[in-house]
Amino acid sequence: MDTSDSECFESADEDIQSDEELPKKVFNKDCQNLLKPNPNYELEASETLCDPRTEESKITRQNDASIKLEIAVKGDNESKNSNKASHSSSETEDICQVTSKINTINVIDDSKPVLSRKENVEGDLCNIKQVEQETVKKSRSCAKTKLGSKISKDTVKFEITPEKKKSKVVEKEKLHKTENNIISSVQIVENEKLKVDNDDQNLWDDEELDWGTETKLESDAKHNISKDNTEEYKFQPSPSSNTPQFNPHIGKKSENQSDNWGAWGSWGVSVLSTATQSVSSITSQLTNVIETGLGAADPEELARIDREEKRELKESLGKECEQDIPSEAPSVGFGLGNLVKLVENTGNKVISGGLDTLETIGKKTMEVLQEGDPGLKKKRAFLKIEQNKPVLSQILREAKERAENERNISEEVYMKKMKNYETLFDDHHGLVHLEALELLSKQCEIKLRNLQNSLNGEQYTEFLETMDQIKELCELPDEEEEDQISILEIREKLKKAVTEMNVQISYDKLMTNWEESEVWLNALNMNICDEKELHQQAIETLAQLTSLAMEQFHKIGELLLIKDRRSTADEADSLVQVTTTLTALIGIAAAKFSEKLNSKICESTNKEISGLITNVFFEAANSSSYIQDALQLLIPVLQVGAV
Amino acid sequence: MSYAYLFKYIIIGDTGVGKSCLLLQFTDKRFQPVHDLTIGVEFGARMITIDSKQIKLQIWDTAGQEAFRSITRSYYRGAAGALLVYDITRRETFNHLTTWLDDARQHSNSNMVIMLIGNKSDLESRREVKKEEGEAFAREHGLVFMETSAKTAANVEEAFINTAKEIYEKIQEGVFDINNEANGIKIGPQHSPTNPSLPGATGSSGSQGGGCC
Repeated sequence: MDTSDSECFESADEDIQSDEELPKKVFNKDCQNLLKPNPNYELEASETLCDPRTEESKITRQNDASIKLEIAVKGDNESKNSNKASHSSSETEDICQVTSKINTINVIDDSKPVLSRKENVEGDLCNIKQVEQETVKKSRSCAKTKLGSKISKDTVKFEITPEKKKSKVVEKEKLHKTENNIISSVQIVENEKLKVDNDDQNLWDDEELDWGTETKLESDAKHNISKDNTEEYKFQPSPSSNTPQFNPHIGKKSENQSDNWGAWGSWGVSVLSTATQSVSSITSQLTNVIETGLGAADPEELARIDREEKRELKESLGKECEQDIPSEAPSVGFGLGNLVKLVENTGNKVISGGLDTLETIGKKTMEVLQEGDPGLKKKRAFLKIEQNKPVLSQILREAKERAENERNISEEVYMKKMKNYETLFDDHHGLVHLEALELLSKQCEIKLRNLQNSLNGEQYTEFLETMDQIKELCELPDEEEEDQISILEIREKLKKAVTEMNVQISYDKLMTNWEESEVWLNALNMNICDEKELHQQAIETLAQLTSLAMEQFHKIGELLLIKDRRSTADEADSLVQVTTTLTALIGIAAAKFSEKLNSKICESTNKEISGLITNVFFEAANSSSYIQDALQLLIPVLQVGAV
Repeated sequence: MSYAYLFKYIIIGDTGVGKSCLLLQFTDKRFQPVHDLTIGVEFGARMITIDSKQIKLQIWDTAGQEAFRSITRSYYRGAAGALLVYDITRRETFNHLTTWLDDARQHSNSNMVIMLIGNKSDLESRREVKKEEGEAFAREHGLVFMETSAKTAANVEEAFINTAKEIYEKIQEGVFDINNEANGIKIGPQHSPTNPSLPGATGSSGSQGGGCC
């Protein structure tokens, strides 16, 4: 036994380096589910060697925060190299180097824990706990019986070093090694057990029977493992050493599996692969169970199966424990195989059960269908009538075509609506401002007429003259200035006019609006822009500009009416300026858009485009006339101010 | 944007009672605590559906300042509905209701539906006008009454829509002559087959527009 064990260990150790990385991913899930820290403990403990004073146990959390409990036994036996921690069952040298991360712990644990754990991961946490408990117990018992009292607390240093310090830890380990310290990483929970198993099955023999019974009792054992362990190990705290601290954090952090497979290299790999397979098969089977279980599987049945599973698991665990198998690998394989079979069987049972249920349902359905209608004649006849009708797919196709046509029509209508200048003008409140201005104008006219009616003789003629003068002042120059004025000039003119009128309005909004349109136009990619889109934008811009102009005319009217001191001549002059400037702006806008549209016409001699250009100019003229009308509406307002 | 009817509303009341905020809440569903003083009149519009008919509400939000009083009076004409608003936290706004009501009755058509609104109902702690007082005033003058909050939007929709419903009922009863635009009701544009890309189709539906070319 000794030889075989030690050989296994050595070979495993040699492979450690290369295999370190492998287990990580496989076990990540497991780790997440593990509530408890499953530290890897390298338990190096030989009864004879364990000298409380010299023992040092360190829990190092390596990469993945797995806890490595290194119990470095500085003992008389310095000949042990930690790397090659050979484990013999012999009392003289019981150096168990159990290097296990949480993950590895499980794996190592007779493979029972591994399987069970994976199962648990998939579906049953309880199992995990049980297994863990079992392992714990085993380890405890092992520790008690074999390693037992010799490991003292003081000597055991549990150092939880963050990942960053991993390198340091490694160095320390090396130091220990050189010092011939026996480093045992004790995975308290499960690793210990693993080690023990791996190292020496004999150690376990006595305790195995107890585990089974005890496991159930210790449901909370997990969290307390560390304490329990320490107690059970009877570690005697040394002044300098920390009492072992197995923080719950450790468990969480152990999500990242440490690479440290310790001595379990190739063996671990095989176990892992087996485990992985079993897990995947379990997963698929579980899925099946879930699927078939919908409505079919009897929960009680499942529960029973589950119980059986657990029981069998325990049994298998027990068996393995009982078996004193010199080399661990075979036993592990055996355990895994058993478990896989077990799970497969269970899955099959569930599946076949589900199928049976489905079959029953189907039979029942047929019975109901055929009730009072043997051979389903009536129902078949009923279905045949349908066949005379047009095929469903055809109906659907026709309906789809109809819907498409309707959509096209509605889109056209929508587009027309969008292009309607009047609608846009209304949307931007241009129309309603004009309407309001009209109301104001009418009000002023009524006022003037009343005044006029009250006048006689000279006053009357004077009044009429004044009215006419104002009208003349508001006459627009016949010929609009042909020479283009720049946007800057327009801005200046508007500003000046507003100042002369002495009302608090501003054309900034209008100018900004145009400038934005201009920017849009300049940045326009003619290759992409559709002419209709361009036309729409032109109409939109014109309607917007005109609406803003209407708003300002309206506001001017209102403000002029409430102004204290009127200077009709200035006001009239300013209004004329505003009107001509705004119409010029409209002209510029229309020209700019038409120019763009024209560039389209060169590419393809499209009659539609020339129609669009004409329309832009038409709407521009429309805009101008709105603006000029607004001026006319303001004349009564000016006249009221003059009398 | 086609609609069966267009109703012209006018919102009147003392300055600062929240007329513009009511409009903003109704049209934009938002509240702006600080609002510029309204110059003359501002406009808002929203589509609603009554009796499965699309109705466009065109709302004229008048300035409450005394200076604009003479101007806003001219806007009363041709309104189908009016929201007469006071501020429940300022009694004087309630006291001025009679003046506003007289103005409205005098300058609008007699069939105009008037809704009395006590705004700022969210400021319960600062309330100066009891709800019962508003109800009593409304009863006395034959108005519909409602307390609203432009801030919390409480009753804002209802105020506008209930007014529209009342106008709609009057149309159904034949009280309003929908062909007379002075009543503040316009029939919506029919689905006219106008082709916008053809000049001439865009006749000016605006009162003064077009025609000169």
